[in-house]
Amino acid sequence: MVVDLSRCVRCYACVAACRIEHFLPMGMSWPRLVALDTGGDNPAVSTYSVRCNQCKEAPCVEVCPTGATQQRNDGIVWVDQDKCVGCRYCVIACPYQNRTFLSKDKDKGFFPGKALTNFEKAGKKLYTHQVGTTEKCNFCAERIDAGLAQGLRPGIDREATPACVNTCPAQALTFGDLDNPNSEVSRLIKERKGSQLHPEYGTDPSIYFIDGKIGQADIAQVEDELQQEPVPTGTER
Amino acid sequence: MEIHEWMINYTRQTEWIDRRGIFLWIAFYAGGLGGGLYLVSLYFNSLWGMFISWLIIAIIKGGAHLIYLGKPLRFWRIILRPNTSWLARGIIFVFMFIIFTAIQLIFSYWLPGSAAEIVFKSLAGIAALAVTVYTGFVLNTVKAVPFWNSTLLPLLFVLCGIMGGFGLSVIIALNGGNVDISTAETGSRWLLIINALIIVIYLWTAANRETTGKKSVMEQMRGNLAPIFWIGIVALGIVIPLAIAFSSYITGEVSPALLITGVACEVIGGLALRYCVLKAGAYKPLVARAS
Repeated sequence: MVVDLSRCVRCYACVAACRIEHFLPMGMSWPRLVALDTGGDNPAVSTYSVRCNQCKEAPCVEVCPTGATQQRNDGIVWVDQDKCVGCRYCVIACPYQNRTFLSKDKDKGFFPGKALTNFEKAGKKLYTHQVGTTEKCNFCAERIDAGLAQGLRPGIDREATPACVNTCPAQALTFGDLDNPNSEVSRLIKERKGSQLHPEYGTDPSIYFIDGKIGQADIAQVEDELQQEPVPTGTER
Repeated sequence: MEIHEWMINYTRQTEWIDRRGIFLWIAFYAGGLGGGLYLVSLYFNSLWGMFISWLIIAIIKGGAHLIYLGKPLRFWRIILRPNTSWLARGIIFVFMFIIFTAIQLIFSYWLPGSAAEIVFKSLAGIAALAVTVYTGFVLNTVKAVPFWNSTLLPLLFVLCGIMGGFGLSVIIALNGGNVDISTAETGSRWLLIINALIIVIYLWTAANRETTGKKSVMEQMRGNLAPIFWIGIVALGIVIPLAIAFSSYITGEVSPALLITGVACEVIGGLALRYCVLKAGAYKPLVARAS
């Protein structure tokens, strides 16, 4: 995945889309949209959309004592909640602090003390979250798998692309195959000098950031672009 | 707009020390203390010491680990990935220690001096050393926390455990156990000096490792952890036991009450050391501010 920091308009649509897609409890968010003052002589506000980096050399996979955290052949790191014992070694080992232990106080319901909403009830059936285990972004692996089964292409076809990427109105997120040198993500990384967070850890994250210095998109420009003919996926431009 | 502290500041780890994390802190310390006591008891051939070390590891360490887990009923799964995970290896060492020591105690009680007793003493001794050392490796292999990335950490934990073992063996000696009290005191004295030196070297190297490492050290020396560091580790863990040990060495005799006080201080010091190591572990900011 490539995150174009110059395009992000801090609308939190990616965060909302993920919550809807995975029926996330209120105390947990897999993607996080964070903003910071860049400091220096000419401070600007910069926005980082962060989530699990799906590291190729994932420390969480290495330290997991149960084998609950696993890496698929396509590189996606996921947690088998039925195997997780909640030791939280993976939470400690992640240099990006992108794992969350789901404790009871993080799953009090959208309206604590009140009846569950229909959305929450649906979530209990469709996407269960086990209190006492660790969770993180899985690049919507279930969407990708379902899409691939239909012959669709991740990053090109919406049905095979992560929800956050599909929903981003500013097209700040691009999804694709990093191993394919001709993919859009590979092109963006090459042409716009994509960078990973903390490469010194040797984790080789699969999320690259581009144009980090610009900080904030020109919203008028983004709106102009959105008026143009829509691209099929919201990912390939 | 929300600014997350962990994005732009040094943030300390919380999962392994705050709230239920205190059980992990107790488990880590109990493992070191129990393993160290077993090794010392092996040296003195103290059956009581071996039995107490078994209780410490099986009940206190095992129980604290179990309480800490988010899904305690699945605890058996924690041993499934020893090829890459130090936590899995550690729990295997714990299981081995519990089993080998239980068998050894049975042989020592009913068939003392038998070949089987010697075999299981050796196996339990190896397992005890492994239980003592593994928590150091659990921490020092976490690249994300520079304060822990030190080869000295496993050594420090082993020596701290053996020092606690010598301390407890003094108590066993005072209660009529099969322990030479002067040897136990000598061992305790030397380990106090060596441990103090290693703590200084450990902090000095951590402070020079990275900015984050320095922040962790400063947090202990001058920050929120300063009372625990100076009172718990330095005063109770080193200075008071050393003063008692040297007064015992110089006068040739010291009251049992003072000896017990010294041992209690050593245990508190060991707990404070693990607490500070866990609590001061911090991550680098995810994104650096422009300077």
